[in-house]
Amino acid sequence: MRSKMKAILLVLASIMIMAGCSSNTANNGGSAAPASNEPAAAENGGAASTDEKVELTFYYPVAVGGPLTQIIEQMAADFTKENPNITVKPVYTGSYDDTMIKTQASVQGKTPPDVAVLLSTELYTLLDMDAIVPLDDMIAADGGDEYINDFYPGFMANSQTGGQTWGIPFQRSTIVLYYNKEAFKAAGLDPEKAPKTWDELADYAKKLTKDGQWGLEIPTTGFQYWMFQTFALQNGKNLMSDDGKQVFFNTPENVEALAFWRDLSAVHKAMPEGSIEWATVPSDFIEGKTAMMYHTTGNLTNVKNNAQFDFGVSILPASKQHGTPTGGGNFYIFKGTSEAKQQAAWKFIKFMTEPERMAQWSIDTGYVAPRESAYETEKMKAYTAEFPQALVARDQLQYASAELSTHNNGKVVKAFNDSLQSVLTGGADPAAALQKAQEEADKVLAPFNK
Amino acid sequence: MTKKISYTLMYVMAIIWLIPLVWTFWTAFRPKKLALSPSITFDFTFANFSHVWQGAPFSTYYLNTLLVVVGIFTVQFLTATMAAFAFARIDFWGKQLVFVLFLAQIMIPADILIFPNYTTLRDLSLLDTKLGIMMPYLASAFGVFLLRQMFKTLPYELDEAARMEGCNLWQILWKIYVPLSRPAYISFGVVSVSYHWNNFLWPLIVTNSVENRLLTVGLAIFAQSFETGAQWSEVTAATIIVIIPLIIAYMLFQRQFMNSFIHSGIK
Repeated sequence: MRSKMKAILLVLASIMIMAGCSSNTANNGGSAAPASNEPAAAENGGAASTDEKVELTFYYPVAVGGPLTQIIEQMAADFTKENPNITVKPVYTGSYDDTMIKTQASVQGKTPPDVAVLLSTELYTLLDMDAIVPLDDMIAADGGDEYINDFYPGFMANSQTGGQTWGIPFQRSTIVLYYNKEAFKAAGLDPEKAPKTWDELADYAKKLTKDGQWGLEIPTTGFQYWMFQTFALQNGKNLMSDDGKQVFFNTPENVEALAFWRDLSAVHKAMPEGSIEWATVPSDFIEGKTAMMYHTTGNLTNVKNNAQFDFGVSILPASKQHGTPTGGGNFYIFKGTSEAKQQAAWKFIKFMTEPERMAQWSIDTGYVAPRESAYETEKMKAYTAEFPQALVARDQLQYASAELSTHNNGKVVKAFNDSLQSVLTGGADPAAALQKAQEEADKVLAPFNK
Repeated sequence: MTKKISYTLMYVMAIIWLIPLVWTFWTAFRPKKLALSPSITFDFTFANFSHVWQGAPFSTYYLNTLLVVVGIFTVQFLTATMAAFAFARIDFWGKQLVFVLFLAQIMIPADILIFPNYTTLRDLSLLDTKLGIMMPYLASAFGVFLLRQMFKTLPYELDEAARMEGCNLWQILWKIYVPLSRPAYISFGVVSVSYHWNNFLWPLIVTNSVENRLLTVGLAIFAQSFETGAQWSEVTAATIIVIIPLIIAYMLFQRQFMNSFIHSGIK
């Protein structure tokens, strides 16, 4: 027994030592590891350049599922080929939320990333943390108006505040209507004509509903505030002020809009009652369980690859006007790093947002390319000729507005989400629920309005 | 009669528990197009697995996860054993107070400590190392509590007998207490290993390099797809890649696990 015990302890101790050593070696000799992501070209090319060598840390999330890490790592390696004195170390950081937590931890720990892709709605949170630098000087020095005006204004809305630009759009999306053309034919509807107005939407949805197939699904979990923004924008104005210090939840237009959304299932019986899962709506559509869905353009490639039927994509139906919020992530450059690093980070952002690269990224992922000139590239022209649905999101951008984003965003969005859910799945009164959300949000925002 | 009812109930519970697992395996081996279709056909494919396996360096991740999990448990075994023995059998000033502090620590969720722990690791220059991932977990209040309770149940007479034979404290601990507490160690091992095997956020935040990342990060690449909704085929395949060693280990040592849980009173 005794010798056995000793043997076990010995083994355990040696494992510990091994573990300690290997973490050291991994740390020192990281680039020697077989992983293909380390741009080895940096070592060779760097020596030739007279400039100081710079290494950038780049945090990025993956929100469309799948091995996109390899594409990003390839892009970073290509960048180093063009700029031998700058090495970019891409760090995959989970979902957008995880990326934000990691960024907050490293900013507080005074080891911020040099550049990161984070939700465009995190702008005010990052500003309140004093974590990011304004980009105006860098834009003026390298790129200028020609560069920045090439981005769609709908996407820049979430990237600018107080007269300064803080983020550069990268992987951005909007909400579009997907519809099943075969289901339209079966219901006697013209498959080339998507509903144009709210009344048509309700009418079509009713006609398309039959056994085993819903007319329409609009997700009511996770991002219900985002879905509701479509109705709010179409029926009135956006939900918050441009400085992120005020929200307008309880307007009569919003009450009407929320009642319309609720009635799609409660009165028209064209949408499932109870909660509609964000994650399963696309699978429902692909499997024909719903004939239409509201979802992000980020889904386009997924639906294209997996739907067995002919499908259409359309601009969202309008009430008083067209409208959709934008979504997705921006590039940010962080404070607390050297001037050289910030300049290098700007170079990297410029490189990543080149029209060719934006076009390819859009084709690979389904995100909307945020620059006009990306749609002028040969690559994109060939792609959209064969798959015109990819142009819908771009065409809708002229009606797009900023996604709900305020100071203390998390609390405001939670109050609003809860109220929406209480109406959509709990049968609460829209006016009362929006009033409650307004009061809660006002309380949260009070310190910023002094 | 009551026996029959309780058996039926047991089977019902077992089936409810099994459904997600069976469904996971079922979906992972089916072509992507049939992922959610209700029809039962015998299409079979490894495509999901090869797609997922190529999407992330899973072999590195496996090795790292093993090192971290084994490393954490090894040190926990040493620290928790000694602390538990002190609380169970040695009298010292302020013992009750210290023990209450230990218990209070069980109630603090680890996620709250991410920011302070991160800062500490930075000061120690341990960011982006495997040792950094392990560091905050090298002592376990839960383990100390569990082992203390176990040690307290052992008859004091064994102590005295050993002392009569000339054993010192150190020998009493390792020759009497540790061997007799095997069930408690096994159940603590199960809790510790499965927790650290599944831990995601902390390792993600501490590490930057692929060489230091764990299996759960590989799973996340496929599971976190809020823009597209769930990609079931890939999620299930990645899940199986991550959980299969634990499932196999569980099947091999099932009897020991059961016994240890019965003995140590954890449910």
